[in-house]
Amino acid sequence: MIRVEGLRKTFQSKNETVHAIRDVSFEVGSGEIVTLLGPSGCGKTTTLRCIAGLEKPTGGKIAIGDRHVVDVEAGAFIPPHRRDLGMVFQSYAIWPHMNVIENVAYALEGRGLSKADMRQQAMKALDTVQMAHLADRPAPRLSGGQQQRVAIARALVGHPQALLFDEPLSNLDAKLRNEMRKELRRLQQQIGLTSVYVTHDQSEALAISDWVILMKDGAIVEKGRPTDIYRRPRSVFTAQFIGTTNLIPGRLESRDGSQVAVATSHGRLVGVEPTGALEVGAKVQVSVRPEAMHAGAAAGPNVNSLSGALELAVFAGSAVEAEVRANGEKILCLLDYDADRTAGHDISLHFSSDDTLVLADA
Amino acid sequence: MAMSDTTPAPRASARAASGFRLDWRTIVLVLLVLGLAYQVVIPFVMIIWTSLKTVRPGDPEFLSLTVTFANYARAFGSSGFWAATWNTLSFATASTLAAFIVGAFIAWVVERTDTPLAKLIGMILIGRIIIPGILITISWILIASPNIGILNQFINQMFGVRNFFNIYTFWGMVWVQSIEMVPLTYLLLSASFQAMDPRLEEASTMTGAGNWRTLRRISLPLALPAALAALMLLFVTSIETFEVPLLMGGRAGIRVFSTEIFFNTSRTPIDWGLSATYSVAMLSVCIALLFVYFRLLRHGERYQTVTGKDFRPRRIELGRWKYLTSALALLIVFIITGIPLLMMIYVSLLGFYQAPSWAAVQSMSLDNYRTLFSSASAMMPMLNSTILGIATATAVVLVVSLIAYFVHKTQIRGRKLLDYLAFAPIAIPSVILGSTFLWFYLLVPVPVIGTLTIIGLAYLTKYLPFALRFVSNSMMQIHPELDEAAQVAGVPWWRNFFKVTLPLLKPGLLAAWFWVMVHAYRELTVALMLARSENRTAAVLIFDFWDRGSFMQISAFGVLMFSLLLVLVLISHWIGKRYGIQDQH
Ligand SMILES: Nc1ncnc2c1ncn2[C@@H]1O[C@H](COP(=O)(O)OP(=O)(O)OP(=O)(O)O)[C@@H](O)[C@H]1O
Ligand SMILES: [Mg+2]
Repeated sequence: MIRVEGLRKTFQSKNETVHAIRDVSFEVGSGEIVTLLGPSGCGKTTTLRCIAGLEKPTGGKIAIGDRHVVDVEAGAFIPPHRRDLGMVFQSYAIWPHMNVIENVAYALEGRGLSKADMRQQAMKALDTVQMAHLADRPAPRLSGGQQQRVAIARALVGHPQALLFDEPLSNLDAKLRNEMRKELRRLQQQIGLTSVYVTHDQSEALAISDWVILMKDGAIVEKGRPTDIYRRPRSVFTAQFIGTTNLIPGRLESRDGSQVAVATSHGRLVGVEPTGALEVGAKVQVSVRPEAMHAGAAAGPNVNSLSGALELAVFAGSAVEAEVRANGEKILCLLDYDADRTAGHDISLHFSSDDTLVLADA
Repeated sequence: MAMSDTTPAPRASARAASGFRLDWRTIVLVLLVLGLAYQVVIPFVMIIWTSLKTVRPGDPEFLSLTVTFANYARAFGSSGFWAATWNTLSFATASTLAAFIVGAFIAWVVERTDTPLAKLIGMILIGRIIIPGILITISWILIASPNIGILNQFINQMFGVRNFFNIYTFWGMVWVQSIEMVPLTYLLLSASFQAMDPRLEEASTMTGAGNWRTLRRISLPLALPAALAALMLLFVTSIETFEVPLLMGGRAGIRVFSTEIFFNTSRTPIDWGLSATYSVAMLSVCIALLFVYFRLLRHGERYQTVTGKDFRPRRIELGRWKYLTSALALLIVFIITGIPLLMMIYVSLLGFYQAPSWAAVQSMSLDNYRTLFSSASAMMPMLNSTILGIATATAVVLVVSLIAYFVHKTQIRGRKLLDYLAFAPIAIPSVILGSTFLWFYLLVPVPVIGTLTIIGLAYLTKYLPFALRFVSNSMMQIHPELDEAAQVAGVPWWRNFFKVTLPLLKPGLLAAWFWVMVHAYRELTVALMLARSENRTAAVLIFDFWDRGSFMQISAFGVLMFSLLLVLVLISHWIGKRYGIQDQH
């Protein structure tokens, strides 16, 4: 549906050149939500704006449907208003001189619709985002969440080929954000829209998307399904950016297919090496998620274990978040809610080799 | 544990005392209202009363309660009145439109495009404000008046056409007046251009709207309130303008309200009644315009946007056109700022007035400056202006910050009254302000006539509305929670005002202070109406020189005045920086 190939964008100013995007390629299938995720300044917004046509790329091409909307080498550029896209801006960009319904109906102008038709369709779009009851309210008198929903209705109303979202939830409080997240997902499934969604919030990305693309410094680090990218990150950056993880340094000892053994200060750990590219002897980081650590000693060919002293345990409702000091390293783990929480006592942890990822040392 | 036993006690006492403190606040408020009423209401009353009287203020009959409409009958029945009305309105309309178009172009170029040197252009334009209006007018007369105008002399030498340009015409006046107002236009518009969120336009584009529809339905409606407000203010400014009609209107045969009022009050035969009648007419027009202005502004409030996090004003890329816009903007800036300045400097070095030539260059000297420096009567006005500028600015800023505090940060009843009172003077044209202060102090036995005090008092009234706008804007940006936090902590309001509010206001205060200082320093109209021998200001002295026809002295004095003001601005700027006051940008 949307295909981005070799996208590059540099900003030239008097005293510096910013390489905002360097060689980004990805595809968005019909009806999918793809999230661009990454730390601030990694080029997410710029990528989105290139797709929208609000920014002219320095290199590469972008196709939407069967049209090449940008092809820098061929000199082709279709301006944003002919790309048939809907966009939700980070600041919502609700027009303050119009009321709610005018904001939405504006997107239907220039299609030869009658006033009544426009109003009716705008109402329908407002209904989808549960804002129909505020149709006649002046735009500046909306709360952040309401503005955001108007912005979504405005983007939806013209039935564009695809929707672009730029951190639409970042201005909302946590509770509303959670609700809107689900609502977006529901809308998405209801209408089956193709969307590119920009966020720097990893839990949002995991919750909302079919595919997650992780970016860093203007380049793609990794892309995958939310579950894979969480469970099988292919780099230390990904493992750290998405969720929390323990990193244990070591050296690759031996390899058997994707199964590898690593020498660490906790002894030999067995795990999965997802890229298949690491050589024996390479410096690595072993990544284990806290929830994969279980208390108690266990043994077996596919089970790793380590032991240390409980340093800190915090009751967090469904589980106990604990810090264990083992060989001078701090290990985070989740314990059962009824676990012994007295600090200082010795504790053994075990984790399956399937949950143990061996990644190249960054 | 011991702590928790002792801490509640002082808290409680602070709460108990807060009723008493509130009273103090009320007292300050009442004093402010009374002071403002004195400063602001009196001019209005004086004007109307004088227009209903046939005797001069100070005459015992003046205070009797009999009124007459004789003055109105006289004015409305004379063709001179209607000619002045027509002249005032047409002159103001033409100047406003010209200044608006040029100013809007420059504001757009500087704020919204990637034109090279945009910053410099904006800075020079704002800097231009320190050149007094009378000097601008004079320099254009020296350039394009018949016979002596340098441009005319050139054209005569080159093409043998005599007096090609004549600045003493309606369009000559419009030319000079609009040039004088371009920096103001730029100032009024650049802020709203800066505040405009380009995302709003992009959002329109994303709905499939082309450039034309986006312009028509989004950009223009959004810019409209600011544009109309600027037009209104420019119109009021050009109705009350004084320098241009004073120096050029006579020979051009264009008499406007402001000059009529001036001549009827300060030149024999003095006709108080008639000038008051003209004043009432002028005041009515200004009030009507400002009424419309506020209607627009209130309407415009709905346009205020909530800007989100990704706000990054985007500039339009002009491609190769940017060199054209840059060249055009630089040319305009040169005409507006460079020409008058160069002209002044050139003439100030001459022994006698002549067009530029090799001979003229050879005869240049600093004699004019030497004469000025050795003359006490020339240096005294300079000192007067400096004193007035600094004192007025300080007083105005103090008063205005108290007003803004009451209006925006408290819920006391009557605070709205303060706002209206402080804003009302914007409707009073300077000539009227000058004459009413004169008349009032002719009546009351306070010996201020002929001193700097009377000018300072008039300035206080005159500059309140402008300073209030600067300070109100930054006051509104201070979150009420800051105040509430202080209240909760039991901090007395005055302490909070000096420790929290004032420091946060610094940028706004500083902007207001500079603005008032510069304007009070260069002001002519009020000072001229109130001038006696001891309290002449620099601008008044320039007018005297002009009356005597000494161009070289004017120019030397003008250059001196400009330099002094520049030094003053730089010093205060340095002091401001030194004490941690950040610039507003
Ligand atoms: N118009 C511009 N001029 C110069 N540099 C720019 C411009 N727009 C973006 N950049 C730079 O390009 C880089 C990528 O910016 P971008 O806005 O795409 O980041 P982002 O990933 O959206 O970040 P955030 O999460 O903070 O929104 C940043 O370093 C930014 O400073
Ligand atoms: Mg962004």
